[in-house]
Amino acid sequence: MMNNQSQSRPACAARGLCCGRGKQTLSEGFWRSNPIAVQMLGICSALAVTNRLENSLVMGLALIFVCIGSNLFVSLLRNITPRKVRMIAEVTIIATFVIVFDQLLKAFYWDMSKQLGPYVGLIITNCIIMGRAEAFALQNPPLLSIVDGLANGLGYAVVLAIIGFFRELLGTGRVLFFERLGLHIDLSGWYTSNQLMILAPGAFIALGFLIALYNHARGPESEEIKS
Amino acid sequence: MNNLKTIIYAAVLGAICASLLAGVEQFTGPYKEANARAERMRNVLEVLQLPFSKERSPQELAEIFAANIREDSFGGLPVYAFVTPKDEGAVKAVVFAFEGRGLWGPIRGFLALKPDMRTVLGITFYEQQETPGLGGEIASSWFRQQFKGKQITGADGRGGIRIVKAGGARAENEVDAITGATMTCKKIEAMLNETIEKIVGVYLNDDE
Repeated sequence: MMNNQSQSRPACAARGLCCGRGKQTLSEGFWRSNPIAVQMLGICSALAVTNRLENSLVMGLALIFVCIGSNLFVSLLRNITPRKVRMIAEVTIIATFVIVFDQLLKAFYWDMSKQLGPYVGLIITNCIIMGRAEAFALQNPPLLSIVDGLANGLGYAVVLAIIGFFRELLGTGRVLFFERLGLHIDLSGWYTSNQLMILAPGAFIALGFLIALYNHARGPESEEIKS
Repeated sequence: MNNLKTIIYAAVLGAICASLLAGVEQFTGPYKEANARAERMRNVLEVLQLPFSKERSPQELAEIFAANIREDSFGGLPVYAFVTPKDEGAVKAVVFAFEGRGLWGPIRGFLALKPDMRTVLGITFYEQQETPGLGGEIASSWFRQQFKGKQITGADGRGGIRIVKAGGARAENEVDAITGATMTCKKIEAMLNETIEKIVGVYLNDDE
């Protein structure tokens, strides 16, 4: 995947979203090399905060925000950043966006901030973001880097949302976020809530099922296209 | 030359990021302060076991708080006094704040006493980072419920709640410790008694 990008002709890259590269970048990040299902990055937070759908959604939103922001700025600065300090520069940019999101959460969504605890701050060390900055934004123009950030952020967010939905549903028999929207799902009549799904092992089990399903849907042939 | 460029780059990037964060802090500061205040009110209402729903907005919390609680001081200690609006002035309970170092980080909590200033009405630990499942159990209700009705002084009148080996709590100022969390319990005992000593000290001074 990375070879692909560095081989691209500079003339094409300079014009940004031409040649269908935007679309390709989007599907690459979101589906074909999904950060969680394929690259197995960001697993720690994906397991830690997904015991409720709402937590998962906010965490996904945080990652999309940070990934787009850091990709954009790393890309904008890619030609003037000295090689020696590029990683420090990347971490500085990433940390800035993470702190901005964390502060906004603390100011306007206090309860959620308390529930997510240290995990918002820990996005600074999330491998997806650093990985995209290093592997993509350093070699690509700003617009395309935004698309890449969005694709990878979405790829992460959707996986988290799916895991969060099933863990909350199977663990408590209801989904609070949907109830807030006026949509009541209540399994308590015939289903005994399985505490295991709320606990850490439930996250591993849910993620395992999801990746198995993903591999099935993706099929073996797409491996050959890439190699 | 190259080094100079690197240094300038790092300085400029650092300055831009820092001023951005300073701006965000300026903007969110008042909101965060309001949240922290609401959180404090919520914890005071909780330790008093006043009925209120967890979904209350900060404004509603502030209203309940204003209607029931009077901020006061007791022998130099800032306290929250619970007075019902109907019989003005009659204090039904007094809430003291306490804090100290736990095993992994700071522990903060509230201790509510009945008007006799000796009997515990309730206790909460609203901030703690103790080991989940061991020291973290201090936040669980079984541990906190034990304190209810206990005396903050022993039979000999000396100050101090004692946290004793699990299953051994007999006296009116003793509660069971958490098995496997000796350090946390010792630290809690120490920070509680630091506050209790001050409370009892005020009484002794008054008696003389």
